[in-house]
Amino acid sequence: MKKITFFIILSVSLTQISCKEDFLTTTDPTRIGRDLFYQNQTQFEQALNGVYGQLQTITNTAYIQQEFMSDNTTLDFNPLDRGGAAGWEAFEFSTVNQGNGEISSLWNNHYATIYNINYALEKLAESKINATAKAVLDGEFRFLRAYHYFNMVRYFGDVILATKTLVNPNEAFALVRSPQADVYKQILADLDVASKSLPARATLRGRATQGAALSLLGKVYLTQKNYAAATSTLKQVTSLGYALNANYKDNFDPAKKNGVESIFEVQYQGGNDLGEQSNFVYVFAPRLSAGAVTGFANTTPSGRNIPTRDMMNAYEAGDLRKAISLQPGYTLAGKFVEIPYVSKYQYPHTITGRSDNNWPILRYSDVLLMLAESINEASGPTSEAYDFLNQVRKRAGLASVEGLTKDSFRTAVLKERRVELAFENHRWFDLQRTNTPASLAAFMNVHGASEKANPTVARGGIAFNVLDYVYTDFEYYLPIPAPQILINKNLTQNPGYN
Amino acid sequence: MKKIQLTLMMMLLIFQGFAQGMQVKGKVSASDGSGIPGVSISEKGTRNGVVTSADGNYTIQVSSGANAVLVFSSVGMTSITESVRSRAILNVTMSDNLQQLSEVVVVGYGSQRKQDITSAISVIGMKDIGEQPATNVNQMLQGRAAGVAVKQKTGAPGGAFEVRVRGIGSLGAGSDPLYVIDGFAVGTSIGQNFNPNDVESISILKDAASTAIYGARGSNGVVLITTKNAKEGKVNINFTLDHGIQNIPDSRRTPVLNGVEFAQFKKEIFEDNFRYFKGREPSIEDVPLGYRYPEQTKFSTDWFGAILNNNAPYTDANLTVSSGKGTIKSMFSVGYFKEAGSIVNTDYERVSIRSNLGGQINKFINVGLNVNGTITKQNIANTDGRSALVGGALLMDPREPIYNADGSMRPYIGGLDGAFGFPNPLFLLKNVTRRRNIADILANAFVEFTLLPSLKFKSSANTKLNYNAFNEYVPSTIGASVASGQAGAPPRIATARDINDRLFNYSFDQLLTYNPKIGEDQKVDAMVGFTSQEENVYGIDAAGNTFPDDLVRYIGAASIRSANSYENGWTLLAYFARANYSYKDKYLLSASFRREGSSRFGQFNKFGDFPAASIGWRISEEPFMKDISFINDMKLRASWGVTGNNNIGNYPSLAFVGLNNYILNNSFAPGKVISSFANSSLKWEKSNQLDLGLDLATLNNKLIFTFEYYRKLTNDMLLPVSIPAVSGFTTSLDNIGQVENKGVELSVDYRANLGPVNFRTNLNVSTNRSTVLAINGANDILWYGSFYGGYNVMKVGRPIGMIYGYKKLGIFNNQAEIDAWARQDGVIPGGMKFADTNGDGVVSYDTQDMVEIGNPNPDFTWGWTSSADYRGFDINVLFTGAQNFDIYRNIEASTMNMDGVFNVLTKAKDRWRSQSNPGSDPNAKNSQGGTNYFKWSRESSERYVYDGSHIWLKSVTLGYTLPKLKSVFSDARIFFTANNLFLFTNYPGNNPDAGVRGGTQLNNDDESYPVPRTLAVGIKINL
Repeated sequence: MKKITFFIILSVSLTQISCKEDFLTTTDPTRIGRDLFYQNQTQFEQALNGVYGQLQTITNTAYIQQEFMSDNTTLDFNPLDRGGAAGWEAFEFSTVNQGNGEISSLWNNHYATIYNINYALEKLAESKINATAKAVLDGEFRFLRAYHYFNMVRYFGDVILATKTLVNPNEAFALVRSPQADVYKQILADLDVASKSLPARATLRGRATQGAALSLLGKVYLTQKNYAAATSTLKQVTSLGYALNANYKDNFDPAKKNGVESIFEVQYQGGNDLGEQSNFVYVFAPRLSAGAVTGFANTTPSGRNIPTRDMMNAYEAGDLRKAISLQPGYTLAGKFVEIPYVSKYQYPHTITGRSDNNWPILRYSDVLLMLAESINEASGPTSEAYDFLNQVRKRAGLASVEGLTKDSFRTAVLKERRVELAFENHRWFDLQRTNTPASLAAFMNVHGASEKANPTVARGGIAFNVLDYVYTDFEYYLPIPAPQILINKNLTQNPGYN
Repeated sequence: MKKIQLTLMMMLLIFQGFAQGMQVKGKVSASDGSGIPGVSISEKGTRNGVVTSADGNYTIQVSSGANAVLVFSSVGMTSITESVRSRAILNVTMSDNLQQLSEVVVVGYGSQRKQDITSAISVIGMKDIGEQPATNVNQMLQGRAAGVAVKQKTGAPGGAFEVRVRGIGSLGAGSDPLYVIDGFAVGTSIGQNFNPNDVESISILKDAASTAIYGARGSNGVVLITTKNAKEGKVNINFTLDHGIQNIPDSRRTPVLNGVEFAQFKKEIFEDNFRYFKGREPSIEDVPLGYRYPEQTKFSTDWFGAILNNNAPYTDANLTVSSGKGTIKSMFSVGYFKEAGSIVNTDYERVSIRSNLGGQINKFINVGLNVNGTITKQNIANTDGRSALVGGALLMDPREPIYNADGSMRPYIGGLDGAFGFPNPLFLLKNVTRRRNIADILANAFVEFTLLPSLKFKSSANTKLNYNAFNEYVPSTIGASVASGQAGAPPRIATARDINDRLFNYSFDQLLTYNPKIGEDQKVDAMVGFTSQEENVYGIDAAGNTFPDDLVRYIGAASIRSANSYENGWTLLAYFARANYSYKDKYLLSASFRREGSSRFGQFNKFGDFPAASIGWRISEEPFMKDISFINDMKLRASWGVTGNNNIGNYPSLAFVGLNNYILNNSFAPGKVISSFANSSLKWEKSNQLDLGLDLATLNNKLIFTFEYYRKLTNDMLLPVSIPAVSGFTTSLDNIGQVENKGVELSVDYRANLGPVNFRTNLNVSTNRSTVLAINGANDILWYGSFYGGYNVMKVGRPIGMIYGYKKLGIFNNQAEIDAWARQDGVIPGGMKFADTNGDGVVSYDTQDMVEIGNPNPDFTWGWTSSADYRGFDINVLFTGAQNFDIYRNIEASTMNMDGVFNVLTKAKDRWRSQSNPGSDPNAKNSQGGTNYFKWSRESSERYVYDGSHIWLKSVTLGYTLPKLKSVFSDARIFFTANNLFLFTNYPGNNPDAGVRGGTQLNNDDESYPVPRTLAVGIKINL
């Protein structure tokens, strides 16, 4: 009896102890460990796709900072829902403070993407994959890093420049804001590499190309007022086979994605369960339009990014782009409701909430207008500059302009950019680039006063707050998000925000 | 009735023949001479047994004649063994064994005599609370044990209570104690899925010397639950039934404006707006038509009242059958509990079945098997918080009717004249389906071999199986509250959700105990053990939306469907040992050690060591104490030990890549991004705890004191810390900081027999002081919360979770006062004046000027139970309380939102309107200011901080034990009981124990499901 008992005890104990090492090693069966990834070309390509996917997140709300914050759009004010008042609405009313959640999202999303880029670049550098593929992947990651830092430096001024990943989170507390010049230096270096290593035509449409790198590089030079470099860089793009679509509308038609005019666009796909759809039409349709704009009854659109009266008036008579870009109102139950909306992204789709529209980031017409601008700034309105500007006007069904002074040519290009690139997230940076902080505040105050006196969309009897639409010089840059400063006293706030 | 008894006995396969031999008679009496009914008398070594009658008399046939030995036993009394020695009449006197020193206390992996214990353990025996019905196990702990704070945070049926042992040891890794049921460590939650009627006793291990044997799960205390087993030699059939109703008393309702008052309030808003912004007296036309004539308001709806289910019934029925005769002793129980919520269409139902079997099958082998199956069904509503039902009902426009003129219910209240829209909460409750069904099976089996008289080996296997199904359907007729940020009247897209998961948890324990006899004066016992445990959860989460109609409410009917499956788990294994030594029952020594490995930690930190030691000195056993007769027992104790906390999720030390796909070439392109920050250096959160205790029994064991002092130092706290976004993530789990908790616990028991009245009382008082001693890394201060929702801050040198916000100085009466003050951008007269604490001339619109404005930690908490019985009558009363602590009443940022978009508290009537009409106390800490401004009203500030001191009369039970009807039942008691009877407090919320955010946001009250007052009657019968 006792022998048997001892045997049982011994065997039970030994069985339990012998499996010890494996027993305590568990991993999440639903995910892949980071350290097991980044091994081969396919995995690096997936890492790249992941970063492109993050670009969707940033693009989904970029209208808030570009269109809302500028004179292009306003909102279909909901007097019953003030929930967005401290968040996205603040960009329209110029009441953004450092506690604004959209600011935090903007900052956090950019750095989350940059982290993935940096991690992949580090792993790529030490990997042994095919050299050609490696160079292209390297160029694409760098292009994307430059794109994100170029956004950051324009939104926030000096930002933290991270090109390496951290082993311990505590190291992040030592990182402080770098001067804009250093950030630009990194952007230029990355784009220089990218413009040399990226192919003229991407193997898979949607991936960054040499044209994308050069166009972005040209835009950086233009922003830095380095007009000679801008002109020479952008001119290289003109020989890469891009052309204007005969029909402006084709740039936005989901059936004609990544066309001849497209240099770089964010890819989306609706009509299926992949989860890669866009939903801009739902965000931009007037609140009470139900299915009149989206095409699906029972939807409750957000009523954001509503074209201002000022924007609608910016189109010259006969401009073919106006009816494509916006509509003055919608018809619901046989009744016309005069609330304008952005129609660029309004296309039929098969599943509620899942539209198929891509979002353009760089188009050839943008390059042409940048060329016109940089040539004019360097040497006045030369015939070459007129040619670039008038190519764009001609496609829009407008007469060529001529006989302008350098200043009026500059105004004409800016106006042309506004209507050509309307609702494509260019306006705020265009205004910022062409203004000083003081002149930008003055310009926006004029717009704000008119919106306040005569709002594009009625406000349901709710009065404006005293501080609504009051612009100040310091708002040239956004505030650094308060949570970031709260945890890291070494981080400085932009002047004016306290 | 006898027939029934007989049948039942046959069912149990325990048939008892009639005894032969001599007859013994006698009376069992108490020390005061009165007869004690219900005492069992059994003849040792036989199955013979009887029970005393109402007057304490008995007659027993003994089979062993003159050599017979009788054992007299009764719950709560010291058993007596007497040899018959030919006596035909045998009278005995029995005494209460309250806090009896020979009482055996369940401790980790074993048991100990109470007199030998050298650590801090609170024991709750069913004799302490048996007369008070409890609906869940944690309720049984409430107010009964010093150092154990139990909060009923929500009145939702099936809602769990929060238990904290000796303060909050950890902010990040959770502060719930470990629950151990019959030796099986089931985790940090027991919920309501365990039938409290099955509980025999509960030990709460509080200090490290007692919990270190549970190693990495011991830091927050351990609750050991022992289920009932058959009493040796007894057959018992016990039936209890109680039935009651629940109501929210008016005093626990939050008073808001009625229809006329709200219209008047809105009218005044418009008038005050004109006066301030336009600088003129308004004409009647300046006020919107809807508010012009408040007295003509047609409807006045009490929205909160509308969702209440008055007199919500509950029923609790239990049948327990046990037999302690024969080799295998058995206990079977069936329980049924059903509770309707005090909010419409919420309820909870539980069916539980238990079987405990076991016995010494031969000289060597002892076996046991406990199996428990529970099924629960719950209808849940989304009740807590401002954007849910309870908060929302306070905010809705009272001028809106619930029903249309034709009697149909209005699905959505769209909002009139600027008031926000809400779905009708009653409609929502009646039309949304939200159910949770749980099936839970718990089984423990053990076999124990007696290898030598002093050496035993016990091997146990424990399993838990839990199926948890959540199912939700929100029909197209439900609109969204605009306060939720997604405005919208119905119809909306109907949505459905189904989450099904199953959990397996197994553990295997091997235990070798050695209990040698080494002489009269010395006692030694030792134990070594090994345990391993594994848990695995597998689930499917499916969702669907866009249904053709609301008739078929299953995902199959949805046009758009998606599903996700998941799996996760953890493992642990540990070696442990313990030795106890005593010399002359006077000098006591105990030491234990555990080495434990967990899958949750980084590869170099998987194992942790958890030593503990304790000593005791029973001074009363010393010769010099023999003359001090009023001291019956006196023991000094000291203990020290190390415990851990691993409650941090399963894979925090690993980094993963997650899916983030894209489209390339118009085709799907799989993508990956890194989904978490890997902190491979994560290690155990460890606590060092020192405990000093004094046990003192005086006045013939009638007055018993227990005094404890402890100091717990938690190192390497596991906390989610905010990290700069430039790292790629915004939070990371890290071992940071050191927190000290120290406190004093006092427990006093007193019992007295005043003639026929027996009186017992226990008062326990606990204090806990926490101090943050260090925060490693670059953060010297940690903020949790939000700018508009209150902050809790950890700062070196201060208690845990101090409430932060603007310090409120008063109200600005006019522009001159504003101009004279530091720049408070955008404030206007009627606005709150906040302190410029950093003296830079600006009240910054961020956290720079925010300071400590409240302390969420009470000075002390206490519980007081008293019971008395007189002849057949008994009464049992429980009070609990907490003194001097603060609550951030977050909901008032909405219920006192003066914009006029929400209904407001009645106290808004007494608000600041102008310098000449400033209300009765404009500068009071909790006054809100005027209606003309929005900025500087909802930000975290002292305005929302209230004292939460309170006294609860938690329960009162009155009972009457019926005179014995021997032919029918041996014992029957009827009782009346009331729970959550009265709350005495100045706190304006419905429950000072509420706090929806929990975790790092202590005492942040956003309005929860109110705690109902329960009244019930019941009967308890022993056959």
